[in-house]
Amino acid sequence: MERKVCIIAGGMSRWGAREGSQRDFFQEAAKACYEDIPGLNPKDIDGLLVASAMTERTSYQTHLAPLVAENVGVQPKNLCARVELLCGSGSSAIILAFAMIKAGQADVVMVVGGEKLNTPQKWETFYSQLASVDHDWDGPQGIGLPPPAFAMMAKLHMKKYGTRKEHLAAVTVKNRRNASRNPKAQFQTPVSLQEALEGRMVVPPLTLYDCCPITDGAAAVILAGKEIAKDLTDKPLVYIRGTAQASLSNMSANIPNLTTWDSLRIAAKQAYGKAGIGPQDVDVAMTHDCFTISEIIEMEDLGFCEKGEGGRFVFEGQNDLGGQVPTNTDGGLLGCGHPFGGTGIRQGLEVMKQLRGDAVQQVPDASIGLTHNLSGLIAAHTLVVYGKEAA
Amino acid sequence: MSNPGISILEGKYMVTMDQYPQQSKEFTQVHQFYENLQEGRLTTTRCRDCGMEPFPPRILCPNCHQSNLEWVDWPTTGTVVEFTEEAMGIPLGFGEPPLIHALVELPGKKTLFTRIVNCREGELACGDQLKLAVFAVDPVPQEIGREVVQIKRVCYAFEPVR
Repeated sequence: MERKVCIIAGGMSRWGAREGSQRDFFQEAAKACYEDIPGLNPKDIDGLLVASAMTERTSYQTHLAPLVAENVGVQPKNLCARVELLCGSGSSAIILAFAMIKAGQADVVMVVGGEKLNTPQKWETFYSQLASVDHDWDGPQGIGLPPPAFAMMAKLHMKKYGTRKEHLAAVTVKNRRNASRNPKAQFQTPVSLQEALEGRMVVPPLTLYDCCPITDGAAAVILAGKEIAKDLTDKPLVYIRGTAQASLSNMSANIPNLTTWDSLRIAAKQAYGKAGIGPQDVDVAMTHDCFTISEIIEMEDLGFCEKGEGGRFVFEGQNDLGGQVPTNTDGGLLGCGHPFGGTGIRQGLEVMKQLRGDAVQQVPDASIGLTHNLSGLIAAHTLVVYGKEAA
Repeated sequence: MSNPGISILEGKYMVTMDQYPQQSKEFTQVHQFYENLQEGRLTTTRCRDCGMEPFPPRILCPNCHQSNLEWVDWPTTGTVVEFTEEAMGIPLGFGEPPLIHALVELPGKKTLFTRIVNCREGELACGDQLKLAVFAVDPVPQEIGREVVQIKRVCYAFEPVR
């Protein structure tokens, strides 16, 4: 029989340009996660999925999951593997843990993800990103780091829909303010609209404030079947209602439209369908704000506003606290930072808190939450819909 | 750039940190692309069965999933749809800022997201004509039998038509 699956605990390390190694951050995240669920003996965790994209590149380490199991003190007997989908690695691992529990192949699965992205010399950190796109065809063109691609999307969106620099800046102002209330976030200080508008130019029209930073850190969550979950925690249960993952094209020449993300629209339709909801039912969302323009396009293609209205939607506060769909209430990527494998797990952690009712910036009566990641240029989109009730 | 403090890497080639693809027949079955590129031709594979012309070239047609492919020439001039000039965070090996990127529409084919070379900052405008620019990049020292042979390599970008 298929089981209902709950997310029952979570925690994260401090994120930022951190002192320490990849394995240090996994241990810090695990500790924070264990502290969130005193009723669980970590030795009873029977599955472990580790999300990390750059472990081979920046830590020269493959076969990561057994190493992490040893370091965080778990002894998986049903599942022990690493999951990689660059910026979507963490959410991918959550989806797979969900499926394994639902199918009865594991009972209590820890999903931990993170990165040590900073290297002793900065050039190597940037250079490593050439591995993140189609190495043979996009890498040699210098678009290994995504900013030029998102700069192009911003320019096209501005031209086509009248999106303005102020609209981009409004995303940063909101997410940096939210991050300033999250003690684990990379950035602890808010920025004003004026500061965001006058930031140092990286690649026009994107300034430093339009781009998420390079981040070290990790996050962890625990998933379990409903019946086991009830025994392990007294906190309100949060269910995974539906998931989806779509990919249409990877190399830049094969992306037909840079301002409407077709694979996101497909993933959203699938996830909403499985969760039995529509975009109007989402009370709180963690979307992939790797760049300010990303959050704007996501508001449109997730169906929270009309196509082309994303800039105005965020500028009017419609995705801020008190608005139609509060987004990135913990600071998002722009505020928390973005250790690739950790991000989807951080998002799941924040949505779990929002639906349990113990978030720092609580959305009143939130009952449906959503997480979204994009990965690659905009090749793949990963969605998870959570609810206070099972689907 | 050398790697100060790591003597084992000094001056040594490392394929795991090479920004350019392997181009010899031992390491890619689309080596013809690079051989054509050395002659100034931009080519890809066309499916003889369904007519699809994917880019980059393949050994399997992504449409009809057959392998009956032939090489075809694509235009080597195109038009700037949009561009941006990257000022910060440019990966090592791409020269001094700015690194200029453009969406280049190849008539009747695809729009490529390419690097623009031989172009001054502020020079490019939407609608400009660009042409293919082929340049040599670091050769690969490859073991062939007991010999280490320098494998010649090239890369492409686009440049303004003046």
